[in-house]
Amino acid sequence: MPREEFQRQLDTLRDDVVAMGDLVLTRYDEAIEAAATGDAGRANRVIEGDADVNERYLELEERCTQIIALQQPVAGDLRLVTASFKIITDLERIADLATNLASYGRPDSGIHPDVDVRDLAGDAGEMVSMALAAYEDEDPEACFIVADQDDALDERCERASKRVVRGLLDRQAAETHSVDESDAFAAELDEVSRALLTVRDLERVGDHAVNIAARTLYMIETDDALLY
Amino acid sequence: MSTSEESLITTEVSSERTGRSDRPDATVLAARDLDVYYGDDRALASVDVEIPEHKVTAIIGPSGCGKSTFLRCINRMNDQIAVCRVDGDLSFHGKNVYDDDVDPVALRRRVGMVFQKPNPFPKSIYDNVAYGLRIQGFDGDMDARVEEALRGAALWGEVKDQLDSSGLDLSGGQQQRLCIARAIAPDPEVILMDEPTSALDPVAASKIEDLIDELAEQYTVVIVTHNMQQAARISDKTAVFLTGGKLVEFDDTAKVFENPDEPRVEEYITGKFG
Repeated sequence: MPREEFQRQLDTLRDDVVAMGDLVLTRYDEAIEAAATGDAGRANRVIEGDADVNERYLELEERCTQIIALQQPVAGDLRLVTASFKIITDLERIADLATNLASYGRPDSGIHPDVDVRDLAGDAGEMVSMALAAYEDEDPEACFIVADQDDALDERCERASKRVVRGLLDRQAAETHSVDESDAFAAELDEVSRALLTVRDLERVGDHAVNIAARTLYMIETDDALLY
Repeated sequence: MSTSEESLITTEVSSERTGRSDRPDATVLAARDLDVYYGDDRALASVDVEIPEHKVTAIIGPSGCGKSTFLRCINRMNDQIAVCRVDGDLSFHGKNVYDDDVDPVALRRRVGMVFQKPNPFPKSIYDNVAYGLRIQGFDGDMDARVEEALRGAALWGEVKDQLDSSGLDLSGGQQQRLCIARAIAPDPEVILMDEPTSALDPVAASKIEDLIDELAEQYTVVIVTHNMQQAARISDKTAVFLTGGKLVEFDDTAKVFENPDEPRVEEYITGKFG
């Protein structure tokens, strides 16, 4: 096959994007454990490890730019490069969200009990994993499955947020003393805030998974059905 | 008989342009079931294509695919090849250019050509541009026509003070623009270009590319190129010929280079074939 070096560069790019995805998912799983257990040491490792992800992101961005400049890809090859260029941005953002999530767990109790953080995070992480597999295997059906799963994730996130807020309101309605004077209330507000931010960020992880699926679908079939 | 058809039969230079359409995307050239043979060898096979007016159409494909043969059919340059036979229909504003009553010289006045290697005559810059007009009996304001053609070829500013100098003294890129001036001096409608930049350095080539973009405002440009990035940069439409003289895909250039319909075209433009 002509242009063997170019083909090798494309194959390596694809492999390395998948490898970046694996790294991000590993950090994400660590972050969820840190959040769920309130393990500060684990959370710090995730936060400090984000520099590795950023470094890999910049290296892949540079490689995409070089392939475009030096090889001038067209058609399917160009779609692979441009899709990869976009997907690494989503992966880098997921890693950023992982650092947020790692920091939300309270040292004594992790995340608010009304948020099943491991379960929700498992669903969002599964979507990212499936989107990456779709990219690696060029599987258009998997892209649509990821998009469908996002609807279910959004619904679960919304229910979790409402549970947390309703619990706060119910407990406050039962209290008799002034809320301004209550240290317990301040602590509960902090816990509720962390819970809502957790839910919001998990919902965003799901959105990034859909972005990866959408770019992958366009890469495979020039089908823009999932883009926005 | 329409004015357009009549102008293919007479070699007189008209003071007014003929046959141009006011319609956007009007078809100026159309091939239908066009076959070309060199002896027993089939160089073009059942080509169907409609080339729009005032657009740049690029013809790409591997060596020997028939792209230059197609270009040379348009102004009957293949007439000079004894073993060449053309079947089917190749019409210019609806008139088959291979009809018996079409004068090839009249056709070539309306369909000019620029070749791969700059080939100015060993004459002055002025005479290079005026040459075609003189032999066609043009009796208007020759100085104005020469200046107009040199301006149209983006060369006037560089040569206006040396019109008596030999065209051969110009640089390669200037010589090619002189050839373009010579081609547009008789005010053709179509300019055929056969790899017009392949003999030029990148800077000279980029000037020609810019010029092609400007020429498309007044002329229909059909360009054969081996340089796919050039085709992608400068053309509105792209025709892809593959082996066997078959036109495999013809579409908007952006479509061909982003998402071609034919897997063989994808393989060719991505360098996996050819």
